[in-house]
Amino acid sequence: MSDIAVTVEGVSKTYGGEQPVVALADVDAWFLKGTATAVMGPSGSGKSTLLHCAAGLDRPSSGRVRIGDTDLSSMSEKALTKLRRDRIGFVFQAFNLVGALTVEQNILLPSRLSGTRPDRAWLAEVVDRVGLGDRLGHRPSELSGGQQQRVAIARALVTRPEVIFCDEPTGALDIQTAAEVLSLLRSVVDDTGQTVIMVTHDPVAASYADRVMVLADGRIVQDMPQPGAERIAEQLARLGRRQPVASREG
Amino acid sequence: MLGLAAQMLRFRKGTFVATFVALAAGVMILMTCGLLVESGLRYQGSPQRYAATVAVVADRDRTIAGPEIFGETESTTVSLPEGGRVPEALVATIAAVPGVADAVGDHSIAVTPVAAPGVRTTGHGWGSAALAPYRMVAGTQPQADGEIAVDARLAAGGKLQPGDSTSIVVGGTERKFRVSGVVDPLGSQAAVFFTDAQAARLDPNPGSFSAIGVLAEPGADKQAVVAAVRKAAPNARTFVDGERGLVEQPEAVAARALTVQAGAAFGGYAAMIIIFVVAGTVGLSVRHRRRDLALLRAIAATPGQVRTMILAEVGLLSLLAAVVGVPAGLAATAWTRNQLVTRGFVPDTFALSGGALSAAAVTVAVAVVALSSAWIAALRTTRIRPTEALGEAAVEPALGGRVRIVSGLVFLAGGVSLIGLTGATDGTTALGAATGMLYTFVLAIALLAPWINQAAARLLTPVLRTVWGNSGYLAAANLRANARGMVAVLSALVLSVGFGGTVWFLQDNLQRQTVVQSHDGTLAQHALTGGAGLPATAAAKARKIPGVVAATGVRRTSVIVPNQLEAQAVAAQGIDPVGADQTLDLGVRAGSLAELRVSTVAVSTTLADSAGWELGDDARLWLGDGVPVTLRIVALYHRGWGFGDVTLDTETLTGHTATGLDDHILIRTAPGADVTAGLADLASAYPLSTVVGTEQLTGELAQDLAISAWLNKLLITVLVGYAVLAAANTLIMAALARVRELSLLRLVGVTRGQIKRMVHAEQAGLLGVALAIGTAIAAITLSSVVHAVSGVLIPYVPALGAATILGGTVALALVATMLPIGRVLRTPPIEGIGLRE
Repeated sequence: MSDIAVTVEGVSKTYGGEQPVVALADVDAWFLKGTATAVMGPSGSGKSTLLHCAAGLDRPSSGRVRIGDTDLSSMSEKALTKLRRDRIGFVFQAFNLVGALTVEQNILLPSRLSGTRPDRAWLAEVVDRVGLGDRLGHRPSELSGGQQQRVAIARALVTRPEVIFCDEPTGALDIQTAAEVLSLLRSVVDDTGQTVIMVTHDPVAASYADRVMVLADGRIVQDMPQPGAERIAEQLARLGRRQPVASREG
Repeated sequence: MLGLAAQMLRFRKGTFVATFVALAAGVMILMTCGLLVESGLRYQGSPQRYAATVAVVADRDRTIAGPEIFGETESTTVSLPEGGRVPEALVATIAAVPGVADAVGDHSIAVTPVAAPGVRTTGHGWGSAALAPYRMVAGTQPQADGEIAVDARLAAGGKLQPGDSTSIVVGGTERKFRVSGVVDPLGSQAAVFFTDAQAARLDPNPGSFSAIGVLAEPGADKQAVVAAVRKAAPNARTFVDGERGLVEQPEAVAARALTVQAGAAFGGYAAMIIIFVVAGTVGLSVRHRRRDLALLRAIAATPGQVRTMILAEVGLLSLLAAVVGVPAGLAATAWTRNQLVTRGFVPDTFALSGGALSAAAVTVAVAVVALSSAWIAALRTTRIRPTEALGEAAVEPALGGRVRIVSGLVFLAGGVSLIGLTGATDGTTALGAATGMLYTFVLAIALLAPWINQAAARLLTPVLRTVWGNSGYLAAANLRANARGMVAVLSALVLSVGFGGTVWFLQDNLQRQTVVQSHDGTLAQHALTGGAGLPATAAAKARKIPGVVAATGVRRTSVIVPNQLEAQAVAAQGIDPVGADQTLDLGVRAGSLAELRVSTVAVSTTLADSAGWELGDDARLWLGDGVPVTLRIVALYHRGWGFGDVTLDTETLTGHTATGLDDHILIRTAPGADVTAGLADLASAYPLSTVVGTEQLTGELAQDLAISAWLNKLLITVLVGYAVLAAANTLIMAALARVRELSLLRLVGVTRGQIKRMVHAEQAGLLGVALAIGTAIAAITLSSVVHAVSGVLIPYVPALGAATILGGTVALALVATMLPIGRVLRTPPIEGIGLRE
């Protein structure tokens, strides 16, 4: 058993069409177990594409991705789905939840789809941790933005995934609520040893990570231990002066 | 998955309402058609006059083998329009069968009681009274040839008592009889009983019976008796149990044919339109939920699970639709049945029966249609990338693949190739041809719609900009960008315009053709019509009136022709060829009516086309009583709608029609001749007859047609209504799906007024295209079908009808779009932008 949760090897992603857009150009990266990594970069830098490829939501044009020891490149769509269901959790910026289902049903959706019996005790614990104990019967439309994100985190936790991928998890939240959600994600790493990979362009959000990776024009331009929100903001400001080439942003 | 699907349905009711409505209405329509067919098949009339029999032997239909297609022959059973006859000698043969107590031949003679001409009455020999058996209510049975027994209905209607003297018109002649007794009223028609000898004499087809009733010995094994009777009468059919009602009541056979045929034909057309609509609606609802489905895919659902969920949703919806649609269908059928009875299409013994079979079949059929369209729509969702869940806006997919454009062009070519079609001889085939052609075109348009929409948007951009300014500019951009999304809307609009414009007007055209042809083709100025039929002597008598140039007796009947696909009964007339060129102009295109005699025949050009006959060919056909004849074709004429597709010499028909009488005599008089007195004399010579102008004859024809077209018009209204409903559905769905887009526009500063104008501009563009295409399709289809049936190239389109269809479509599109858009615009934009589409 290695200590690496996710490996990205020589991954390129080109979006087709008559004028192809290079979103990722030969990226190599690996993410250690029990750590939180913030992936940053200006719009169009390829950070969302990297997340999608690493999480098996999208297939790279070339290169390979491994979750633990499992190589994703040769897997069928069905196998990929099962892998996402069992070993990966997701928290998106918005539209995380199925409107037709209650909070509890949303949290249990992955186990329902995989046909496994949910672990009730663990569900209770997770719900308690995210502070949603009294909201289980509500529908997403009755919750605030922060509460919705917490439901998404609970859903990501309940299957005990190895890696939780977050795409701008605090993008739609105010500072106070964002802080709550970020602490929750931090505790996931510290308490249960899960791995968090988070795309964000908020330096404050990045400061909750152990490591910050910065992308520009589809390449990693910086990879450093988390140096504090102010340093991150400086770094980004420097990058921001360069004009982004493409405007493909998830 | 079923639980998840149920929850989705409950939560997103709005999205599913359209599909549900389309499905439920579809179930209702098909249920009505199915139940009519089922009841028709089960309907056997009710044997009353034959109640005591164990079996009835009669000859009522012909099974005719069709042409060999791919090494197989399909045979059709056609009921004999005039009813077949069984030979007298068969009675003795059957009576000799062991276990048979008695076999009684039954004459059914058309009679009109002068005392009560309104009471529909049939004459029989007293011997056949034992088949019911009839009970004497008063008096005694007829013992002498001048005596009759009447049934209680007739006694009441004509105020008759035993001992009274009364007149009965038989064979076009009035005869006096003494009423000897009154019997129970049994059966659907009143009965007059002559002595057996008298009945045999009065029967226009001597030496034969219309049926033979078999009475079994008490205690005999009924099944064995029936089997033995069948063996003894191999050339006729032996009817048992409820089937005996079909022999007793010829109108039961007609009712059965009508309901089965109408139900099956319209069920077929409805099925096609329902497939089209349901496929469109289901596809659209899946399309509007892309993001939801993408989220499921991202989180944990395999493509298979998403497909299963969609199928489960649609399956549940189909079941719900059946729960609503089946009872609605039952109610609709009950209403239709009552209307049919009131209008005299079916006897009032016609009852709706069964239903379980229809309900099951319809539910399964609709579910299969819905599930297969869901399956096709779901296949597309496999291509939804999970990452779309993360994106802000769903990317509008490309126009469509090469397969789509190629199949669209193939269908278009198919539709065009149908333009030259020929040989529709009656309303049913004409309607079938029209619907087939229409669907081919609409399918082609639906497939090509993305490209049509885009081309139209490009073409219309300058127009929309000029008329609506900035709103027009936005509208054009929307039409261009959303070319694919508007496919369902465009095809639904084209379908309703095309459908309304074709089938509705087709019925008008067929009716009009019949009347116009009959009017144009009648050269005679007067007609002698007899309510009880006219003997052949009437025409001869008319010719002798001074001032009369020519007189032609016309006998209406039907004959069975083996068409290229299947045998069918077609309208025919028997005429006395002498001087017929003075009274009738059938519009002869080839050959000459002068050669019409016992061994020859004239047929309409449409029938010749559909049967593959040419001038000089020997036509093999069956007369109304099932007797096969081979006649040489000596003339082809085009006024088949007005006069029937087959014209024979009356002599050919002698002994082969039920009454053996002419229906009317056409009389041509010399210009300026005063024939009033002569004609009045003529009319007084024949009971219940009058002389009318031939315009009146045509007028009555038009009235009859309007009555018989009632069912067609009803079913066509329902189909057009369904197409309109589907269009409204699609428009509302499309409009409600635009919450986010419109909210965004308002947030960036577009005013509500501008948005409304933008939607108006879009509608104008879309409607313009839909109306243009729909009208073109309707025009092509209608004129080619009308041309095929009548040779007229320009169809008749009532201005009011055209205005209704065009105006109705515009109003529908505006209401079905502007109302939901108005609702969308009442949502505060900041709330709307957060909603998912």
